[in-house]
Amino acid sequence: MKFGYLLITSNKGEIDYNKLAYALALSIKNTQKQGFDQVCLITDNLDSTKNFKSPWVFDQIIENKEYQGWDARSHMDQLTPFDYTVCLDVDMLFLNDCSHWVEYFIKNNNLFIANNAITYRNEIISEDYYRKTFTANGLPNLYSFYTFFKKESAEVIEFFNLQRSIFSNPIEFSNLFLTNHKPKVLGTDEAFSLASKILGHDNFNLDFPKIVHMKGQVQNWPWPADEWTDHVGFYFNKQGLKIGNFQQRDLVHYVNKNIITDEIISILEETAWKK
Amino acid sequence: MKTGIVIFAHNSRKVDYSLMSLISGGLAKKHLKISVSLITDQSTVEWINKSQSMQKFNNVFENIILTDRPSAENYRNLNDGELVDNVPFVNGNRSSVWHLTPYDKTLLIDSDYFIFSERLKPYIESDHDIMISSAMNDLGENRAGTLDKYVSDTGPNLYWATNVIFKKNKNSKIFFDLVDFIKDNYYYYAELFRFYPKPYRNDIAFSIAKHILDGFSLDLEGSLPPISTTIDRDILVEVSDKGRLKFLMNQGSDYVAMSIENTDIHVMNKQSIIRHKESLLELI
Repeated sequence: MKFGYLLITSNKGEIDYNKLAYALALSIKNTQKQGFDQVCLITDNLDSTKNFKSPWVFDQIIENKEYQGWDARSHMDQLTPFDYTVCLDVDMLFLNDCSHWVEYFIKNNNLFIANNAITYRNEIISEDYYRKTFTANGLPNLYSFYTFFKKESAEVIEFFNLQRSIFSNPIEFSNLFLTNHKPKVLGTDEAFSLASKILGHDNFNLDFPKIVHMKGQVQNWPWPADEWTDHVGFYFNKQGLKIGNFQQRDLVHYVNKNIITDEIISILEETAWKK
Repeated sequence: MKTGIVIFAHNSRKVDYSLMSLISGGLAKKHLKISVSLITDQSTVEWINKSQSMQKFNNVFENIILTDRPSAENYRNLNDGELVDNVPFVNGNRSSVWHLTPYDKTLLIDSDYFIFSERLKPYIESDHDIMISSAMNDLGENRAGTLDKYVSDTGPNLYWATNVIFKKNKNSKIFFDLVDFIKDNYYYYAELFRFYPKPYRNDIAFSIAKHILDGFSLDLEGSLPPISTTIDRDILVEVSDKGRLKFLMNQGSDYVAMSIENTDIHVMNKQSIIRHKESLLELI
């Protein structure tokens, strides 16, 4: 059995996604137990990985020129080198050992997509500001930022084939299934949720993983907030991470890509070197 | 292990907290069937004597414990329905309860919190070192705002020190010492947690202490149930001899009738309690 985390980047714009993936990989090495800390990076830009001080945090780096942007993530089942995979968004950080989640999924699931997102104050997010399509069309509230799957299981093949079909034919599927509220862009979350609904998956209702989801409008603040960093601080040091006055645990999806500074990378590297 | 209820009462020129504590203590003793002690100051005791009600106090309270009167620098607006008055809140010594309580396990309640049920009994019998109400349950409609739920817009959960249960031990002492420290450095914590520092609020100091001791995170385990609350713009209009309380609930520019029975309730309109003192005292 080979388990690993899969990080997929596409580096076309101004954001250096490989740098974010590097920070995430460092945090995985720093926090996850042995056997649950393998990381594979799939990237369309190998050059920017050459400047990392500790490229060994990626157990494998695979160049991918075939699939671009979001499209690459819809091929995660074909791109992974692992038997069991958790594919993560790269703008995330592990803060504690969450290997027990993976152990549970390996034992009980062929496919699991996160359905619990919480605020930095540890409250379940029920606000649907970004998810009108989900509410209006009765889609399961899935977050593709944490997707577990067993490679080549029948359930997984069926799911990803349908999901790719949705992704390739967004107008047709929107017209057929998302008539109550059509998304401007049919993204990975919508495609995963619609595929899950069509296939009748009903085994995603677990209390874990709970993942902090730092989108501004869903933090239960009394004002509109495009950038959450305008309102609360991000305090990262060797002891951990606080957002505002709240100690963060487990896994944080920080969303704001500018947060990962060289200083934060240095702290993560130093921890990894001393481990 | 001796278990009892403690109520603080320091009269001001505008509010007779001793009278409210008599009602509150009498109701708590009747429904929870445990002893009650009053923590008060010399001038309030003088008022009780002057009003010739000491006998009633002796009937309700197992102990009347004297302490220094806290400073009355803490002013805030207090409504009586639509009337507003700026009154002193003489309540800054709540954290001293750990030292002053005569009990091994204490239920601390506000003097405007009236117990009409046994709801808190299983909590008193549970084994936690310290428990606080996790929220308030406004009995009006859609009136609670962000600052009724959180210490500040981006800050921690607001716990309600209206009900606190604690065992007198090392862990609870750490908690109350921290509340004291927060009170002494209130402006610093106001900057850190981004709340407005005036007036001093026990609820905020207790909430921050709990947040810090919970590891700067939300931990509702061991919380007491939400406090059913009427706000000071609501008016208590009738108290029946069966213990049914009738209110006019403020809903913006309108008032809506509401009645409640067999439910513990926080009545923030203190003057409307005083107006119904006879019928409330009949219930104890």
